[in-house]
Amino acid sequence: MKRMDRTEIHRFPVEESGLLKREVAKRVFAREFEACRELEKSARPDSDAVDPKSPNLLISPLGLILNRIFVVGVITELDSIGTQNEMWKARIVDPTGAFTVYAGQYQPEASIFFSTVQIPAFIALTGKARIYEPEPGSVFVSIRAEEANVVDEEIRSRWVVDTAEQTVERLEAFSDALASGYRGEKFREYLLEKGISSELAEGISIALERESAPQEFAALLKASIRGGLRALDFESEGDAGAKADQKEFVLELLREMGGNRGVDYAAFVDTAISRGISEEVVEEVVCSLLSGGQCYEPKIGIIRLVG
Amino acid sequence: MNEKIAPHLEELTRALGDLEKTGIRAEFDKLLAFRVPPDVAKESILRKFGGKRKVLKVKDLSANLKSFEITGRILDIGEKSIRPKEGAQEGAQEGAQEGTQERPSKLYTGVLADETGSVMFSSWKELPGSTGDAINIRNAYTRIWQNRIRLSIGEQSLVSKIPDSSFPPLSELSGSQTKKLIDIGAVDFSVETVACVLQLSHREVLVRGRPSRVISGVLADETGRLPFTAWIELPEIDIGSIIRIEEAQVRMFRGMPSVNILNSTKVSSVGPEEAKKLSFTFESVKKDPFPLKIEKIDSRDSMFDVAAAGNVVSVRPGSGIISRCPECSRVVQKASCRVHGKVEGIRDMRIKAVLDDGTGAMSVMFPRELAEIIYGKTLEEAEQLMISDVSKDAVYEDLKRFLTGRYLAVRGNSSKSEYGISFVAEQAWVPEDDLAVRVVELLHRLGPDEEDGQDRNSQVSGGGIRLA
Repeated sequence: MKRMDRTEIHRFPVEESGLLKREVAKRVFAREFEACRELEKSARPDSDAVDPKSPNLLISPLGLILNRIFVVGVITELDSIGTQNEMWKARIVDPTGAFTVYAGQYQPEASIFFSTVQIPAFIALTGKARIYEPEPGSVFVSIRAEEANVVDEEIRSRWVVDTAEQTVERLEAFSDALASGYRGEKFREYLLEKGISSELAEGISIALERESAPQEFAALLKASIRGGLRALDFESEGDAGAKADQKEFVLELLREMGGNRGVDYAAFVDTAISRGISEEVVEEVVCSLLSGGQCYEPKIGIIRLVG
Repeated sequence: MNEKIAPHLEELTRALGDLEKTGIRAEFDKLLAFRVPPDVAKESILRKFGGKRKVLKVKDLSANLKSFEITGRILDIGEKSIRPKEGAQEGAQEGAQEGTQERPSKLYTGVLADETGSVMFSSWKELPGSTGDAINIRNAYTRIWQNRIRLSIGEQSLVSKIPDSSFPPLSELSGSQTKKLIDIGAVDFSVETVACVLQLSHREVLVRGRPSRVISGVLADETGRLPFTAWIELPEIDIGSIIRIEEAQVRMFRGMPSVNILNSTKVSSVGPEEAKKLSFTFESVKKDPFPLKIEKIDSRDSMFDVAAAGNVVSVRPGSGIISRCPECSRVVQKASCRVHGKVEGIRDMRIKAVLDDGTGAMSVMFPRELAEIIYGKTLEEAEQLMISDVSKDAVYEDLKRFLTGRYLAVRGNSSKSEYGISFVAEQAWVPEDDLAVRVVELLHRLGPDEEDGQDRNSQVSGGGIRLA
């Protein structure tokens, strides 16, 4: 009987092999990531997390618990900072701020990538969150890169939208939680009833205990996201290309008609229309040339190219 | 001494209830007698008996759960003696040293039910109840036995009989449960369901040496789809029929439940009047599955014919060109199959990649046809690359450069093991949903701009990205 008992107990570590399960890569904007702080092992909801092999977790002011993250952004800076060993430091910009990324000798894949990447470029990157606190009050949150690759703008836009969506969901859960007025176990139950995952429910209740002014941060983050979403450019590459071609064509036509000496605007528009360019496009191009200082109006109705 | 341990005992009582009655106190004292520091002893007791209460219903059970609490009525119970094998006993020197002479132990097996379903259980200790009694089990766990989930009651589980309370009576709990397709899983053995026949085909198989006709196909309702097999004729039932199936058997095949229609199963057509009351029609269920969050896929042991979308965060080793054994299709390494020895392998291509949508991650297997589509190179072209690069990793490296970070949607079947979700793709594509529409919706959810100061802030960051 006792021996059976032992095998039963020994089964548990096997069940714990959930550790081998691939950890999800969270989507988070730089602004929220930067504001993350360490989630001490003792503060963790799951008693299993006492396991020394469990990952270092960070928690955001909105209660997002994270370790691995996936970001897509523009790599704007890249430095080789290693002295004895190779070490890359990169800066990846998203609509709300920037991520600091490191890759050293133990991240060979990412290091090889950084040694070849051209700047600037859109890149996608997975990595683990790291936190460094040299002295109280100064905290550095960074990513230790795992894998990275160059991607196109469409993937970047999609990442921004996906990340915004998941952040907005969190923001909504968070403000709902704040408004509920519940605390403790009852609060967790309330969140779970609302269909919020148990991890986020735990995260939110921990965050609410820690943060002094969570609403301020939420408002700032919201503003950043709004700005980021508005700045997205959804014109497909084909469209943008066509526009640039038309602009080039209008400029060429202006030169052809003696733009250096001055051209009657009405006559110019007529000619352009006869060549298949709409009046709106002509107007748009001329306006941009005027505001860009490439041409001017010596007299009303006459435009002249500079130089 | 007592002053030292008192706070720990208090904490344990708060977490686990009456320590004296359940024998936890004795266990705690035993650890202390072995000079385990009180706080460490408290930790291990908490871990063993599950400090936090996790109360589950039968429908929530999945493989490899541990230390949860469940309440149900015993539908059936039996016992059998288990005598450890001779060989096993020799191997169990350790056990013998502790002075535990092996004696035949008893295993109690049966069925436990609550209002959400029924589950087979096995217990290593005698239960304080018999057929018809309601019991409460704390620190129970589950494991997979013969492809099904089994509720296990071990030495450290605490079982108590609860008075015949409000719990549904025996008559209500026995008999097969009417379930939606998504709720059918490894805990079920007999089910009743109403669903629409989405696919149907006949095939000949050998049953005990005699050829017989079986029908296989796919059932669907508003919650999902499941494969089915009928070992009997189904007259007047065709694609598009809505049917009620009673006392069908659930079998597990490769981690996926399948509805088996046997001689004892009752199949009847659902009339048009009744069909109107259902929340699905043939038209609604035959639509292509809508992409789910991976979190949702992760919440089920298996899902049949579902879709998901996410970024390829990693292309796993073993992707690229592989060679398979001509006999058994196993992957051949170093020109040797692990069953058939030295073989002349057949070239094949596959991709194993991790798809992650921020809510979950799953390992997706793309067979050759799909690998060629998403990679944009055929097996032959990939072989050329391998030859010209004189490197066997050339294709894998190229795949990583090509796929890492990309956004893909997949459709196929998922199953879950302790290593996470494995998903076998049957279709893969690049989704072209309109981001602009989602942006408008998100801006609406974010609400109007707040005070001026914050608005300026957003302008600054907006400008920042445009420069970048």
